[in-house]
Amino acid sequence: MSNEIKIGDYVVIQKQNYKKLHKFNKADSSISLGRDTVNLKGIDGCPYFSVFKMIPKSSKRNRDYTVELAQEAVKLKDEIDIKVSGSDNRNILDDGNSQKLSASDIETLKSDSNKASDIVGTLINNSNTFHNKTEFSQDKYLRKKEKKYFEYFQVIKPNLRVISEIMYKLDPGKIQNLRIDTLSQIITMVNIHSEGNHLLYDSGSNGLVAAALLSVIGKDTNGKLLHMHPGNMSQKQALLAMNFPEEQLNRCVSVNVYSALRQFYQGCDTNNGVDKDIQTSENDENPLKRKADETDEHQSKKMKQEEDEELVESLDKTDGDKPRGNKKPKWHFDNIAASEILQNKMDSLVIACKEDPQNIFNELVSFVKPGRPFVIYYSAVEPLQQLYLTLRPRANVAALKLTCNWMRNYQVLPERTHPEVTMNGASGYLLSGYVLK
Amino acid sequence: MSFRNYKDKIEEGDTVILYLSNNLYALDVQREIKNKKGEMIENVYQTPFGALKVKTLIGADYGTKIELTKGWGHVLQPTPELWSLTLPHRTQIIYTPDISMILLQLDLVPGCVVVEAGTGSGSLTHALIRRVRPHGHVYTFDFHEHRAKIAQEEFKDHGLADFVTAKHRDVLAEGFDKDLNGKADAVFLDLPSPWLGVPHALAAIKEEGGRFCSFSPCIEQVQRTCLALQEHGFQEITTMEVLQSEIKVSRRTVPVRDLSFLKQKSSISPVEEKPSSETSYVVGALPQSNPGHTGYLTVATLPPVYVRGKSKKDDDNISSENGEKMVVDENV
Repeated sequence: MSNEIKIGDYVVIQKQNYKKLHKFNKADSSISLGRDTVNLKGIDGCPYFSVFKMIPKSSKRNRDYTVELAQEAVKLKDEIDIKVSGSDNRNILDDGNSQKLSASDIETLKSDSNKASDIVGTLINNSNTFHNKTEFSQDKYLRKKEKKYFEYFQVIKPNLRVISEIMYKLDPGKIQNLRIDTLSQIITMVNIHSEGNHLLYDSGSNGLVAAALLSVIGKDTNGKLLHMHPGNMSQKQALLAMNFPEEQLNRCVSVNVYSALRQFYQGCDTNNGVDKDIQTSENDENPLKRKADETDEHQSKKMKQEEDEELVESLDKTDGDKPRGNKKPKWHFDNIAASEILQNKMDSLVIACKEDPQNIFNELVSFVKPGRPFVIYYSAVEPLQQLYLTLRPRANVAALKLTCNWMRNYQVLPERTHPEVTMNGASGYLLSGYVLK
Repeated sequence: MSFRNYKDKIEEGDTVILYLSNNLYALDVQREIKNKKGEMIENVYQTPFGALKVKTLIGADYGTKIELTKGWGHVLQPTPELWSLTLPHRTQIIYTPDISMILLQLDLVPGCVVVEAGTGSGSLTHALIRRVRPHGHVYTFDFHEHRAKIAQEEFKDHGLADFVTAKHRDVLAEGFDKDLNGKADAVFLDLPSPWLGVPHALAAIKEEGGRFCSFSPCIEQVQRTCLALQEHGFQEITTMEVLQSEIKVSRRTVPVRDLSFLKQKSSISPVEEKPSSETSYVVGALPQSNPGHTGYLTVATLPPVYVRGKSKKDDDNISSENGEKMVVDENV
């Protein structure tokens, strides 16, 4: 991937700590950042990491912006010079009278001023108490206001870390509460690397687990990822957002789990006659799939129409090669490819599912070579506890371990270092082990 | 050589992991070893379950069951994770939960160049190598001469020498190799004074930017490192802590005590005041002793040169247009 923003790329728009994934599919596509609508015309061809300033289109009131390449993001702290500070808050009274400007004054100020520092500067000058606040308290005030009035954003390249963070923040339920630390451990626990054939069953992480594994398999390597899913179409959002080169993306074979296993055991998909049967039987599976994913689909429709449209659009593109020479759909070839990979046995197994993991594990573990690791992710502990007890007496697995993770972020500032006041508590559980002969 | 590629069968010279009822041992598969007198004798490995004649492993499949006089176990091919649990400690080491996060936070994928200081016992180094191979490279430094030498030999023995350069060097005093300037995608520091390493990290990271991570047990180290990172133009400076707990699963049968009969005067008297039945649960309990702290991970992004450090020392005379174009051209 080059260092310049190109039309067609997935890009990440970062405004302060807020990050948003965006498919930059038109030179003048728009993106909503909070209540603001920003037209991205002009970012095409700029290097990644460039800083852009948001310029109000007409008046600030309708919150429509265009962008302009900026030298740097100006910090409020650098623009506003604070001369005096208090030593503590003993003389500060919260009587509602400290701000001399009225609410309507402030509204006018907000829509008339072009610079955040003008607004905040005026607010400060009209405050009776600001200069009695401690230096730390003033700093906190400025940081808070900066968040509100920040006029700059950066365009950065998506990668696994950023995508995982965005998806978790936006709606952890859609990726089964799979937090970045747990995701990072899935990758290491099953020893995913540039080599080998890796098997993934994923029924609901929006492609995040597949993206994680494929990114670590890497470009221009031999590793393959067999990505099984229960639906007609795999969830690919995160996978596409990684902007993987064609060569790498092609080493991720996404197949419907029913079709792939039917092909493996019954091998029916080699002549044309049987081909039709498969297609109809796959259509039969639709109702089943609908039921399972119904809630999820509803959610996604509500939450991110924009992204869904993008998703559909890009899926269309990837399936554009559907009718090949002999008019067989891509999935036909994918099933055969999957079956061939399975014949050679797999070097790892990852399951991240919504269903009861037990049957899925029992079926898929038979494809894993002896001595190779597996890991099962589930958002609640009970199904994994049950599975643990079922597997423990078995001779075909060893080193069973059920783990959970705890992660805490810190505010690190001179004299003000402490853990952040909120933690992301939900992270799910991992059951890992090794397959034996 | 069992660290390099996936293998199905055990060969002489492999390191294998012996898994015996929740205990792991790393074992070199050699038919014969030297005894105290320097004579070659048959290699017999003593386990808690009895002696293992090592030569019997040769030709066996990985994942296979091995019989011992007082029990049985399994042999596994080493992974960086199994190696972290079995390696000979020459220093404190970083374990898998932190390692996993470090790899992800450093944005490492095959092909990356990563610089590490110090090497220590090579626990993280093995995981770094696995992540960046086959096209990438790990440069690792330790200021302890002997330790650096052992690590170097170990990587060679493990068949990983193509992917790693291990050197003796006091990075804080001398910086990284000059040859590494502008070569690294990521820099990892596990040093007593990581803030002193920040300028060296800045020098090592590529013009198009990269990631930084420092592992420090103490918060004072973190504070100084964060300040140094800020001064040197790093962005997105984040500090975090990751802990993993193992859940002990068991089936527990618990007595059921009925108290509802007390509401009425019972016709049948006397009712026994003890549990009336039993019920069974699958329970997961956290162990009594749990890791409470390993170290703080401080991570940061170094942006590409064309946006680097502008907020710090502003050079107004540099025209951004031309500057950017030139840098971009170099990178294409």
